[in-house]
Amino acid sequence: MIYKAIMIGGSAGSFQVVTKILSALPKTLNMPVFLSLHRLKHVRSGFLEALSLKSNLPIIEPNDKEQIKPGRAYLAPANYHMYIELGNRIALSTEEAVNHSRPSIDLSFITAAQAYREKLIGIMLSGANSDGAYGMKKVNEHNGLTIVQDPNECQVKTMTEAAIKITNINHVFSTEQIINYLLKL
Amino acid sequence: MTITSLDLEQFITAIRNYSNYDLSEYSDKSLKRRLAKVLVDYKLELSGLITQMKNNQQIVEQVVKDITVNTTELFRDPLVWQHLRYVTLPKLQNQPTINIWHAGCSTGQEVYSMLMILNELDLLNRTKLYASDINTDVLQTAKKGQYKYRFNIAYLDNFDKVMKENPFNYEQFFDIPYSKYFEIDKEKDFIKMHPFLTEKPIFKKLDLVKDCNLFYVKFDIIICRNVIIYFNYDLQNKIFDLFHNNLYNNGYLWLGMHESILGPFAPKFDKIGQVYQKKEHVFPNLDIGKKNK
Repeated sequence: MIYKAIMIGGSAGSFQVVTKILSALPKTLNMPVFLSLHRLKHVRSGFLEALSLKSNLPIIEPNDKEQIKPGRAYLAPANYHMYIELGNRIALSTEEAVNHSRPSIDLSFITAAQAYREKLIGIMLSGANSDGAYGMKKVNEHNGLTIVQDPNECQVKTMTEAAIKITNINHVFSTEQIINYLLKL
Repeated sequence: MTITSLDLEQFITAIRNYSNYDLSEYSDKSLKRRLAKVLVDYKLELSGLITQMKNNQQIVEQVVKDITVNTTELFRDPLVWQHLRYVTLPKLQNQPTINIWHAGCSTGQEVYSMLMILNELDLLNRTKLYASDINTDVLQTAKKGQYKYRFNIAYLDNFDKVMKENPFNYEQFFDIPYSKYFEIDKEKDFIKMHPFLTEKPIFKKLDLVKDCNLFYVKFDIIICRNVIIYFNYDLQNKIFDLFHNNLYNNGYLWLGMHESILGPFAPKFDKIGQVYQKKEHVFPNLDIGKKNK
């Protein structure tokens, strides 16, 4: 299977894991990585820079309707929902928070699942609420690949357990296994 | 509820048939989501909704109101407002009049944010402020200038940042009380803008998709934040055309934090920080005739 995009969702306790994954993925990665991560909405700067320190891929907080390019990581901007539009563009929205979250991981996953279908890899990491679980279900329904960080390894396992509960997840992996899997693609 | 592309097409066609609105160039992902929400809220299937719209003009109006997104805040993105206060607006200080248009102003919190800054800069009297939205309900709220306290409490922090601090001079601190601009009643749960602010703007219903500039003046500043994200790329360019035509040379276009001019209008503006400035008109070189020969 040739995958065309990776979507990563995470909240509390996911920062280190995302950093590890981004530092392992090669510059030459031939697909985009989307990051839908909960963050404090008034902290606008710093997060991107902190994530960028060890990443091989350039990390971008995209503008609305920005063209998606491979080998880049797109971080959902604070206080916006991030959607994947048809026509290979990103769309942003200021609609009300979903599950108290903006960005909403569910919304990012659902739209990515619709756009990339079976060519999407959805990865759910540590987090303290159930946002993203429904999105993972949608990835699965569109025949995309679902990976969840092993709840036993998560700092906070609410989010990953919620995903596992409602969807038949393809792989429950440790951080290292996630990285090894992605490197073999 | 999942809305398919076919559903969306039927809905857009119905709206077009039963009203003057055209949603065909709205960004499809959020439009699908909003439609799903409307169907849940109305407890209807799509076919049922379309029948209702066919028989009742008011339902169409209501649906369009509910489809459009109306989230807004006082001083959303404080850093950008600080830039406006300390960099952009002082450049207009010597003009006899300043025309400002808030396009897609929703319930008006940013209109009042602007008025407060203008007042601090002593520019309120010579400013004409126009504001428009597609939704007459939100315009009513905007006119009234009254908001739920508990929904807006978080944004008082934004007020503190923009109104009290100067990022270019940390020594400076303005001790401006909220009561200078609005009344807060925690018990009755409201924030109410003072009359000297609410009487200032001219509000008008305007659909950016099909209306022209209904204010019949040109502008020094057009503010349109987090509106065009709901439009597709082609429609965004039409809106940029409208704005470009209605800005004075060197006028400012201010978009949302993550909105940008990507297409053919990009060369017609300079980007300074978060603000676009319309370039002076350059006469086209008149070689066109030669090419045709």
